[in-house]
Amino acid sequence: MRRFLAILGVLALPWTLAQGRLVVAQGTDPITLDAPLAQDSPSATVVTHISETLFELTPEGRIVPHLAEGHSFADGGRTLTIRLRRGITFHDGTPFNAEAVKFNLERFVSRELASPFAFLLSELERVEVVDSHTVRLRLKNPFAPILAHLTHSSTAMQSPTAIGRLGAQYRDNPVGTGPYRFQAWQKGQYVDLVRNENYWGQKPAIPQVRFVPVPEGTTRVALVETGQAHVAVRIPPQDIPRLQANRAVQVVRSPSLRTIYIYFNTQRPPFNDARVRQAMNHAVNREEILQFVLGGIGRVSDAPIAPGIFGYAPVGQYEFNPGRAQELLRQAGVSTPLRITLHCPTGRYFQDIQVCEAIQGQLRRVGVEATIRTLEWGAYLQETQRPLQENRIQMAMLGWGAVTGDADYGLYPLFHSSQWAPGFNRAFYRNPEVDRLLAQARISTLPQGRQSLYREAMTRIWQDAPWLFLHSELQVTAIRQEVQGFIVHPTERYLAYQASFR
Amino acid sequence: MTAYLLRRALIALPTLFGVVVLVFLMVRLAPGDPAVLLAGEFATPETLEAIRARYGLDRSLPEQFLIYLGALLRGDLGESARSRRPVLEELKTYFPNTLELASAAILVAVLTGIPLGILAALRPGSGLDLSVMVLALLGVSMPVFWFGLLAILIFSVELGWFPVAGKGTLAHLVLPAITLGINATALLARMTRGTLLEVLSQDYIRTARAKGLAERVVVFKHALRNALIPVVTVVGLEFGTLLAGAVITETIFAWPGLGQLLVGSILARDYPVVQGAVLLVAITFVLINLLVDLLYATIDPRVRYD
Repeated sequence: MRRFLAILGVLALPWTLAQGRLVVAQGTDPITLDAPLAQDSPSATVVTHISETLFELTPEGRIVPHLAEGHSFADGGRTLTIRLRRGITFHDGTPFNAEAVKFNLERFVSRELASPFAFLLSELERVEVVDSHTVRLRLKNPFAPILAHLTHSSTAMQSPTAIGRLGAQYRDNPVGTGPYRFQAWQKGQYVDLVRNENYWGQKPAIPQVRFVPVPEGTTRVALVETGQAHVAVRIPPQDIPRLQANRAVQVVRSPSLRTIYIYFNTQRPPFNDARVRQAMNHAVNREEILQFVLGGIGRVSDAPIAPGIFGYAPVGQYEFNPGRAQELLRQAGVSTPLRITLHCPTGRYFQDIQVCEAIQGQLRRVGVEATIRTLEWGAYLQETQRPLQENRIQMAMLGWGAVTGDADYGLYPLFHSSQWAPGFNRAFYRNPEVDRLLAQARISTLPQGRQSLYREAMTRIWQDAPWLFLHSELQVTAIRQEVQGFIVHPTERYLAYQASFR
Repeated sequence: MTAYLLRRALIALPTLFGVVVLVFLMVRLAPGDPAVLLAGEFATPETLEAIRARYGLDRSLPEQFLIYLGALLRGDLGESARSRRPVLEELKTYFPNTLELASAAILVAVLTGIPLGILAALRPGSGLDLSVMVLALLGVSMPVFWFGLLAILIFSVELGWFPVAGKGTLAHLVLPAITLGINATALLARMTRGTLLEVLSQDYIRTARAKGLAERVVVFKHALRNALIPVVTVVGLEFGTLLAGAVITETIFAWPGLGQLLVGSILARDYPVVQGAVLLVAITFVLINLLVDLLYATIDPRVRYD
């Protein structure tokens, strides 16, 4: 037996960690490393290490220049001039300049590429090269969120030479300006990156990073516990207590830009009466759901968008008050028991169906009998996005990640009356004042002005209650104690370039 | 023999065509717009349209089928809608890993299940027999998911004997192979015990013993040869099942196999990949069945294919 163990011990050597390499366990393998096509967070995470954007969204929600040095709006916000940093080259030696930016932006919106994120630059009319390090973006309409949209990882700058040379093979061999350069991708096993020794900014402390796909949460946890990985993302709640007892590992909770809500069809009885919608909001005990259903992995919403998004401001709380809920229902002339159908996805969001079941139980106490109906995700999307005449949904749970980190994307598609389903305003919400405020904030190029417009719009939305406001998700990450400076970004990307070993 | 092979190949064709039609219809008749799933939650109508055009989703169902079939006949499985890589390339990346895992699992099952079954059959009613049967019962009824996680917690986290997950060294293969093979091991142990016991009670065995042959010769030369024929069938079928059913094990152990590719593709309605992967599994099934039939002839001289 002892000899057997000794043999196993020798076998074990190859899987201990290589010196100086950070290993990050993600849920899945990247799908593509071509930035405009990278939709899922594992892909976006790897892309962000290799290719950089013109502007950057800090984890605190500020938009700062990155590959850009500065910018100015002109022509009433219809023209955006961007000055680029000088002396930057892509990993293959191609200079980063105005031509490269023009190439990348035009490729981004091209129909041949059919990038799912092309909408981010749908206001773009054309790109002009002013001089070697200045580009001018001509917009169809004044569009303030454009800077936020240029922080999105899908708009990252990639080497035009490499794209031209590699064609379809580019997605497996990305070339950017970032702190790490691409080394190897063994599909389903790992992506290896090495430090870019010519990086223009602060050079990373860790010479190599490896991303490994590990679909099962408990397996990711085991990898970190045994030291076979340094970081494991998306930790399942049942594993948190065990990890917290482990002194070699820290459990980090970070905000996410994703908000979970249940919307009402505000155009059909009984939810066309704001008092009924408010009553539902008073009937639900969010703290209880947070604690007992979500295991504390979340944050009760106090606005239609999550903190960390530009324009966020707390605008209210619907106090848990079943008496008030019943009172409001009575005022609205609703006779109880009120029978309704609540649509809910399964497995799409953290504990989604369980949250719905808890709400079902809480609503019963105020005389609302909710029947839960679930559908497979594809069918669910189809049902919820039917136009009003064909739409039979009364209440449905959905989540929204404001991917650009800007309130415009968190509010305009969801609450502006021009966006009714099949757009994203599935509540068929319409408030002319909110419409005006959201439109105004789109063209106002002064950040302070936009912030106060959004606060006012959100206050009105909160009172109108087109949603049963719920919570925003938290990201739980396990990081070994010897690693510091690892960033869990609210856009659900995981960044290693400021990390170091203790 | 050649004629037999040809005939089998011809029979396989309509089977595979049926698979192609079924899979094509299943993935397309499922409710929900695949373009929406492919484009993600945030796409605009223009993007959706571009994606529909790119993957021919704007055409009628028969048209889509004919286009797909035509490409298939040219050996073109299309392009993954998510990664935009040729499906063939994707399958070539992941399938060998699944094959490796399933082969290791069937090896575990054959090397432990059959000997355990033989031992149990030679001493029916003994303590050994009883423990083998209890273990077999456990093995058959154990959920793979639970067993896999338990194996990780005990043998990787607590004892540190094996790596937690991934592919690399031979040691990486041990836990997933046992996990995937556990059901088949139990099944083979029970089967072998049962068939061997039956054969041992037959007249010709009694005759062999009466002739004064050594017990070893009786069991291994006369009894086992006949007892193993149904076992070979089960091994073949189990191998096919393992190939298709490796999904859960691959997920637990982060094994880079077809299961990982397939699950992601089904959720995203990545039609070309789902179709390609299912077709590949179907072809493998057909081939394994053929192999099992050929093996019969080698084990049992009475079986002839002319």
